[in-house]
Amino acid sequence: MNEEHFLEFDEYLQDEMAVADKLAFEQQLEEQPDLAMAFETYKELQLHLKNKFGQADELNAFKKNLKGISKEHFRKPKPKVIALKPWYYAVAASVAVLFGLFFLNQNSNPTFEDYNQPEMVFFTERGDADANLKLAQDAFNAKRYKEAISLFETILEADKSAEIQYFYGVALLEENKLPEAEVVFTSLEKGNSIYKNKAIWSLALSKLKQKDYKACKELLLMIPEDYEGNDQVDALLNDLD
Amino acid sequence: MVFSLFLVFSVKSFFMTPTTVHPDQMYIEGLANNDSAIIHAIYKKFVPKVVHYIKNNSGDEDKAQDVIQEVMILLFNQAKSEQLRLTCPFDAYFFLLCKRKWLNELKKHSNKGVTIKEELTSIHESADEMVLQTEHFDKKQQLYDAMFQKLGEKCQELLKLSFALSSMEEVAEKLAVTYGYVRKKKSLCIGQLTQWIQETNRFKSIKNT
Repeated sequence: MNEEHFLEFDEYLQDEMAVADKLAFEQQLEEQPDLAMAFETYKELQLHLKNKFGQADELNAFKKNLKGISKEHFRKPKPKVIALKPWYYAVAASVAVLFGLFFLNQNSNPTFEDYNQPEMVFFTERGDADANLKLAQDAFNAKRYKEAISLFETILEADKSAEIQYFYGVALLEENKLPEAEVVFTSLEKGNSIYKNKAIWSLALSKLKQKDYKACKELLLMIPEDYEGNDQVDALLNDLD
Repeated sequence: MVFSLFLVFSVKSFFMTPTTVHPDQMYIEGLANNDSAIIHAIYKKFVPKVVHYIKNNSGDEDKAQDVIQEVMILLFNQAKSEQLRLTCPFDAYFFLLCKRKWLNELKKHSNKGVTIKEELTSIHESADEMVLQTEHFDKKQQLYDAMFQKLGEKCQELLKLSFALSSMEEVAEKLAVTYGYVRKKKSLCIGQLTQWIQETNRFKSIKNT
């Protein structure tokens, strides 16, 4: 078969041949079985393509309908329905609402409590004999922050180390003395101690507590990647998005 | 309508025409028309037997569901593209099609030599014949689709558009070429398919007619 034959097939099928040509073509088909076979295949292909692309929408509609009906028939039988007394419905509804609220809450903005994990302090490891330091440490670790704050304030009069300042800030944050806490953290943030990044994180937590999500995010983005608590930073950033 | 169908049926029997349309033809028409009521009826009346068979032959409900859907789609396509005239009860025809499709499936996926009896063993001689016809149609469709995938991108796109759009003028406009070009290209693309299929047929003798 060559190109001429296929062009002829098309012309014939489109009924565009002159009567004489048509008769000649039909004569050829009768005399040449090879040509006749090729013509049959050509016709079948044309039909196949017409069905495939011309009726694609119909096929898709059928498939969709079929799938739905099939699913319906193969569905597992429903468990027995037990009639409930009316007041059961009220109980069920309240439980459902509670559940709903619970799960809704999961999806809402992150809260301070989600990320509030103050670390333990161990000042006395340095062998410091200061009694106040020991007391402050115990109070802080026992989460008695009010007590810890006043102790820290006494200590800070003599020792303005970054470490003391930082834990003083955390205690203030825990006690909801946010402006005071932020002053402490901001000064640490401007310094160069090892508490610099921790201070930024704490500042971010303070903003989170005030639901200032924008400021919180900006602070988080300032924390370098190699910060030891970077997992927490990333998690909070994700939650904020 | 039922009466006239019956009349045609009896007149044809009277003259001993070899192929008479079975009243179950309504299931074929129903599938072709995407008639939900008929599809539901098929599921209710004929599907449980198939599911039972597949479950008893190393299959499960999910597999059965797939095989049944495949066969239904095949019947839809055949009814749409050629005259599918049912000459036997739908029950026997449908069951046999599903059964053979499932056995083929098993054969394809098992590396252990599962021996499957290939012979058709139905009670209806005409059902055997119908099943062979449909399977032949299935193979042909698969061959055509495979060959189509072999075509170049340009041919594929042009053919798709030629049969999806209502006129070749539209196709020419869409592809920003001349009408003469799309007309010529279309017949040459189908010509290429024709050549490949003839070559394949020469080797595989898929054509059994």
